[in-house]
Amino acid sequence: MNILKLLADLAEVDPTLYDRLSSRQAAFAPLSKLGRKAALAALPVALGTAIMPAQARDIRTILDSLNLALVLEYLESEFYARALGLVAGAPSVPASFFPAGTRPAIETIYRHEQQHVRFLERVIQASGGTLPTKPRFDFTGSKNGAQPALFADVFTNFDTFLQVAQTLEDAGVRAYKGQVGFLQTDNSLLEAALRIHSVEARHAAHIRSMRRARGANVKSWVSPTDTSIAVAGKTDAVYAGEGLVNQFVAGLRQVPFDQAPLNTVVAVAKVAEAFDEPIPASTATSLVSIFTY
Amino acid sequence: MDTKSTSFSRLFSARPVRRRTFFRVAGATAASSALVLAGCDKDDENPEVSPEQAFTLGTGDTGLLNYAYLLEQLEAAFYDKVVATPPADMPAAELAYFTDMRDHEVIHREFFKFALGTSAIGTAVFNFGSLTLTTRAGVFAAAQTLEDLGVAAYNGAGKLFTDPVYLGIAGKIASVEARHAALVRDLALPNSFAAADVVANDGSALDGLDAAKSPAQVIAVVNTFLNITVSAASLPG
Repeated sequence: MNILKLLADLAEVDPTLYDRLSSRQAAFAPLSKLGRKAALAALPVALGTAIMPAQARDIRTILDSLNLALVLEYLESEFYARALGLVAGAPSVPASFFPAGTRPAIETIYRHEQQHVRFLERVIQASGGTLPTKPRFDFTGSKNGAQPALFADVFTNFDTFLQVAQTLEDAGVRAYKGQVGFLQTDNSLLEAALRIHSVEARHAAHIRSMRRARGANVKSWVSPTDTSIAVAGKTDAVYAGEGLVNQFVAGLRQVPFDQAPLNTVVAVAKVAEAFDEPIPASTATSLVSIFTY
Repeated sequence: MDTKSTSFSRLFSARPVRRRTFFRVAGATAASSALVLAGCDKDDENPEVSPEQAFTLGTGDTGLLNYAYLLEQLEAAFYDKVVATPPADMPAAELAYFTDMRDHEVIHREFFKFALGTSAIGTAVFNFGSLTLTTRAGVFAAAQTLEDLGVAAYNGAGKLFTDPVYLGIAGKIASVEARHAALVRDLALPNSFAAADVVANDGSALDGLDAAKSPAQVIAVVNTFLNITVSAASLPG
C-alpha cells in the first residue's frame, strides 16, 4: 500500500487533511512524541476517519485496550501484594507461606506489575483518558462470600497460590496478545504493550518452573502435555484454544505443519507449544470477573 | 549497476564455498531474486551500506519476514548443535528442555519459510566459533544471549509490520521466546528470569518493560555468527 502517495494525493484535494491527522494524533502526543514517521505509520486507520467527519472511535478503541490492560495489571498487582502481606486490611498471610527461597521471585514479579500499573496510568492520563475504577478483589473466587470459593486456600496453600498465579500470568499474556492489533495505529503504545507482554510471559514461565520444581507436571511454556489446572466453566477459558496447531500466513493460507514435507522437518506434536494464542477482550474481562465482586 | 554486478561476482568468487551456501536455495534464480544486493539498491549512496559486502533481506513485510526467518534459523541451528553434541556436564533433564526449544525454533523457522515462499532467503550457515559449546555454562550463556535477543527483536519489529496478521504472529512467537529466555536464565542463575539487564528497573519511565531492539541492532549481533555481512538497511525502521 503506497500510503505516502495516497496521502500526497489526498492532501492535494484537501489541504486540511494533514492538520486533521495531526490533531487526531495529538491526543497521544505526550506519550508518543510522535514524529512524522510514527504519524505515517498510523495512517492506514487514521486516514479512514480523517477523511470522514471526525469521530472518536479510534481513540476509544485504544483507550479500551489500555483500560483492559490496566485492570489486568491491577488484578495481578493486588494478587501478589496480598500474598506478600502488603495490603492493609486484607487477611494476614502466615510468614511460613513462602517456602524457603521463593519469596524474592514473587517480589520481583510484584514490582513489575506495579511498574506496569504506573506506566499504564501515566499513559492513559497523558492521553486525556479517565482511569478505570480499581475493582474490589476476592482471589478465592467466592465474590466476597456470595458463592462457594474456587480457591479457598489461595493464600494459605502455596501450591494453590502458584496455580492461581499461573492462571493470571498465562491469561495476561493472552490478553495483551489480543490487544496489540488494536494498538497498531500508535507505534509507541504498540511497542510498549509488546514489551509488557513479554515480561508477563517471563513471569508465566517462572511460575510454571516453580510449580514444576514442586512436582507439578507442567512445562515452562503452554503445552498440551501440561496437567490441567483449569476450573471447568470458570477458568478453562485461560487455556481454551492454546492447543491450536493451525497457523496462518497472509491470505489465510494455513501452514501445513502436519503434512509432507513439513511433517518430516518439524515435531508436529510441539507446534501448539511453539505459538501462544491471543484471547479477545471479552474473554479477558470475564476471567477478571472471577476474581472481582 | 555494472560495477555493482562486478562487486557481486567478486564477493562470491573471492570467498570460500562455505560462505556461498548461505544463499543455497532451490535454484540460483530464486536466490538472486530473493536476495537484494545492497549495492544494486536505489539507496546505494547510503553510507550505512557497504555495497561490496552487505546483503539485504528485502523491503516491507517481506524484508521483516526474512529478518525473522534469519533469526529463527540462527536459533534453530544453535539448538540443533547443542542437542546433537551436548556438553558432557549437561543433565538429561536440561537436554530435554533444549530439545523442546530446538523443536519450537525449527517450527518458527519453517513457519517463516512457508510464509515467504519464493521470497525466502536461502539457508544460512552459522559460525559458532565464538561460543563455548563444550560446557554447560557456555551453552547457557549463549542460549540466554540468543533468547533475549529474540524477545527484543520481536518487541522491536512488531510496530514495523504493515499486515496485522504478521503483527499477530510476532506476538504469538515473542511470548514463547520470552518463556524460553526465562527458563534458560533461571537455570543459569536462579530468579534471573526477568533481571534488570533485560527488564528495565532503573527508575525510568520504562521500568517494568522488556527490551526492544531495532533490526539494525539485532542484525549486528546475528552478523557475528555469519561469515558474510547482512544489512538491515532495506528493512523498515
